[in-house]
Amino acid sequence: MTEQNETIDLLRNSAAGFAKFDGKRIRGWRANAPGFDRAHWRQMAEQGWLSILVPEAEGGLGLGVEAASAVAGELGRACAPEPFVMAGILAPALLAQATNTALKAELLPAVLAGETVVSLAWQPATGGLSPDATEITAKRQAGQIILSGEARFVSPAQADGYMVLAREQGGLLLAWVPADSLGDSLVEEAGPDGIPSGRLRLSDLRLPETAVLMSGNRVAEAVQTALDQALIVQSAELCGLMQRSLDMTLDYLKTRQQFGVAIGSFQALQHRSVDLFIQQELARHATAAAIQKAEAGASGAALSQAASSAKARAAEAGMLIGTQAIQLHGAIGFTDEYDLGLYVNRTMRLAASLGNAAEHRRRFDDLSEGA
Amino acid sequence: MSFHYGVTQERDWNALSDTEFRQILRAEFEAHYPAELRYAPRRLRWHENKDWYLRMAEKGWIAPNWPVEYGGMGLSAAKLLIFQEEVERWGIGRYQDHGTLMLGPVLLRWGTEEQRRQYLPDVLACKAIWCQGYSEPGSGSDLASLKTKAVREGDEFVITGQKIWTTLAQDATHMFVLVRTDFEAKKQEGISFLLVDLAQKGVTVRPIRDMAGHEEFCEVFLDEVRTPVSNLVGELNKGWTVAKSLLGFERIHVGSPKMPEYGLTVLEKLARARGLWADPVFREKYGALKLDVAHLSDAYNHFTGIVVRGEALGQDISWLKVWATETFQRIADLVVDTAGPFAAINGELEIAGTRIDVLASFYKARPPTIYGGSNEIQRNILAQQVLGLPRK
Ligand SMILES: Cc1cc2nc3c(=O)[nH]c(=O)nc-3n(C[C@H](O)[C@H](O)[C@H](O)COP(=O)(O)OP(=O)(O)OC[C@H]3O[C@@H](n4cnc5c(N)ncnc54)[C@H](O)[C@@H]3O)c2cc1C
Repeated sequence: MTEQNETIDLLRNSAAGFAKFDGKRIRGWRANAPGFDRAHWRQMAEQGWLSILVPEAEGGLGLGVEAASAVAGELGRACAPEPFVMAGILAPALLAQATNTALKAELLPAVLAGETVVSLAWQPATGGLSPDATEITAKRQAGQIILSGEARFVSPAQADGYMVLAREQGGLLLAWVPADSLGDSLVEEAGPDGIPSGRLRLSDLRLPETAVLMSGNRVAEAVQTALDQALIVQSAELCGLMQRSLDMTLDYLKTRQQFGVAIGSFQALQHRSVDLFIQQELARHATAAAIQKAEAGASGAALSQAASSAKARAAEAGMLIGTQAIQLHGAIGFTDEYDLGLYVNRTMRLAASLGNAAEHRRRFDDLSEGA
Repeated sequence: MSFHYGVTQERDWNALSDTEFRQILRAEFEAHYPAELRYAPRRLRWHENKDWYLRMAEKGWIAPNWPVEYGGMGLSAAKLLIFQEEVERWGIGRYQDHGTLMLGPVLLRWGTEEQRRQYLPDVLACKAIWCQGYSEPGSGSDLASLKTKAVREGDEFVITGQKIWTTLAQDATHMFVLVRTDFEAKKQEGISFLLVDLAQKGVTVRPIRDMAGHEEFCEVFLDEVRTPVSNLVGELNKGWTVAKSLLGFERIHVGSPKMPEYGLTVLEKLARARGLWADPVFREKYGALKLDVAHLSDAYNHFTGIVVRGEALGQDISWLKVWATETFQRIADLVVDTAGPFAAINGELEIAGTRIDVLASFYKARPPTIYGGSNEIQRNILAQQVLGLPRK
C-alpha cells in the first residue's frame, strides 16, 4: 500500500468513527442558526478534513479529491448537516490559490482551523454553472472596490465571510467580504434539510482594494477547478447518502410484514430494489472514475467533464433512490420522525446545488462535443 | 504431453506488453478480416465466415481462452479481454463458437482425457461445430424442468425429446445436451450432460425464422438418437453442476460496453443525416444515453480489473448484464424514434447521402435481455443473493 493510500484509509476510518448518524443532533440544528454545529466543525478541522485539498506549502495536507471523497462518503452515510463540500473543500481550495498573500496569510489558517467559516458567493439566479455567469460587478475607484449585483444559493448562508466573485472591466475578481460589512444585504432562504442558503444583494458595497483576493486571467480557472473538485466530492457525499437510504429500505423490506409475509418477498419490490441497486452502483463507479481522472491530473475541460459525469449520475441516482425509498416504506417514509426523510432532504439539497442531474448531463454533452 | 491438440503457438502472448499484443491483433484483423463482413447486422452463417475462421484455426487463434497445452492461445485474463475488445472493435462477427467458448472449458474441467483427445482437436480445426441444446419448448427460464430423456441401453444412451432456440444448429455437427436421466430425483438432480453427434438418424433440425427475417436459431428433434456412454461428461445425474460451472467469464462479456457504444455511433450518424443532431429534445435523450454508456464503461473497467487481478467475481456481476443489455435497448429504441418514417424501411438504406441500417440495432438489441438468464431472472438472483431479500 502506498503512503497516500494509507493516509486515505486513515482519513476514511477516522471519518467513519467520527461521523455517526445522530438524528437528534441533525433535527436539533434545523431551526438553529447557522444550521450546523460550529463545535463539530472545529473538530472536523482538527482531524485535518478542511485542509485536504490545500497544498502542504500553504499549511494543508496536499491531498486530492480521493481523500476528500473518502471523508465525504462517510459524512453522507451519517447525513451530517455540516457544509463539508462548500465550506470545507471548495472554499479552502480556492482561498489557497489567492494571490493576495497578506490577506491569505490572515484568513487561511483560521479557515483550516475551523475558526472562520467561508462561503463562495457567485451563482446567479439563473443557476449558471460557469464562473463567468456571475452577475456581480466590481469597479475600482480611489483605492476601493465597489461591488453591486446579486448572488443566490450562497451556502452556507451564515458564514464569517464571503468570497464574492465579481466581474470587473477586463475580467473576474475574487473579493473578501467580511460578514459584518454586509448589513442586511444577505437574506436567508430555507433549505429542505433545514439549513438556509443565502441571497446576497449588493448595491455599491465599498471595500478597500486590499480585499481583492485575486484578479485577472487566473480567477476563472481557479474557481472552475475548485468547483469541479467540489462536484466530485459532493458526488461522493451523495453516494454515501444513497447507500444508507437503500440499506434502510432493504432492511425495511426484510422486516415489514403484510399479507403474512415480509414485503421484500414480493417480486415487484425485489425488481425495483435491484434497479435502485444498479443506480447506486453506477453512481459509485462513475464517481470513482471521476476521482481517478482527477488524481491522474485531469484539468480544464477534462476535469469538468469528469465532474459532470459523476454529478449527473449521483444526483439522478440519489433522487431516484430517495423517492423510491419513500414509496417502499409507505406512510412511515413520509414522516419527519422516521430518519429516511432526513436523508432524502439532504440528498435533495446536494442534488440541486452546484448543478442538478439534467444540467450536468447537458454540460457533459457540450464538453464532449468540443473534445 | 505427447498428444498434439492443435497448432503450436508462435509465441508466448502473455509475455508481450498489452500494447504490443493489441498491435499484433489489429494488424491481423485489419489486414485479413473481410471488410464486407464488419459489423454484420445479423449472425453470419458458416458458409459466409468460414474462410476467416479457418484462417484463425490455422494460425492457432481459434481458442484464445484455452490453455496452450490444449491448443489454445493460453491468454491471461488481461490478454483475453484485449482479444475480445479488439474483435468487437473491428466488428468481427461470431461463428457458432460454442465449441471453443463452452465445450472446451467444460471438457477441461469435467471431461476425461479420452473425451478431450476425441473432441478438442476437431473443435480447434473447425471440423466440428458445436451447438448448445439446453432450452426446450416447456423449459426456458425453468431449465431444470427439462424433459428430453436419455435411457441407457448397453453401451449407449438413447435420447428422445425436443430442444429449441438452438443457435445455428443448422450449421452444427455436434450438440452438447442436457437430458433427464433420473425421473424420480428432484429436478436438478436427475439431469446429465451428454455429447451428441448430429449426423445420425433420428435428428431433425428445423430452422426457425426470427422476427428480423433471419434464421439464427432452430428446433432440434431427437428421436431415439444414440450416443455412447463414454460421451457422458461428469457424473451421471450431475449435469446441472456441469452446466452451471460455465457461467464464469461470459458474464463479464455480456456486460461489455462495445455494443452500446456502437449503437451510439449509429444514433449520431442517423441524427446528423436527419438534421436532428442539434435538436434540444434529441440531445437531452442522447446526452442521457451517452452517460448511461459512460457509466457502464466505468463499471465494466471495475469488473475487468477484478478479473485481471485474478480475483473472483461476485454474484453482483449480474447487474452489469442487466444494465448493458437494457442500455443497448434504450439506444436502439431511440434509433427507431429518430429515424421517423425510415423505421418503416428494413435493411440498409440511404438518408441524405448516409448509408445506414436503422432496424439492425433494434433487432440486435432484443435477444440479449432474454438469453443468458433473462433480465428478470437476473433481477431475482440479485434481489435474493446480493440484496438478501427473502424468497417467497
Ligand atoms: C437469440 C436467441 C438464441 C438462443 N440460443 C440458445 C441456444 O443456443 N441454446 C439454448 O439452449 N437456448 C438458447 N436460447 C434460449 C434462451 O436460453 C431462452 O430463451 C431463455 O432461457 C428464456 O426462456 P424462454 O424463452 O422459454 O422464456 P420463459 O422462461 O418462458 O420466459 C418468458 C418471460 O417470463 C419471464 N420469467 C420467467 N420466469 C420468471 C421468474 N421466475 N420471475 C420473473 N420473470 C420470469 C422471463 O424473464 C421472460 O420475460 C436462445 C434464445 C434467443 C432469444
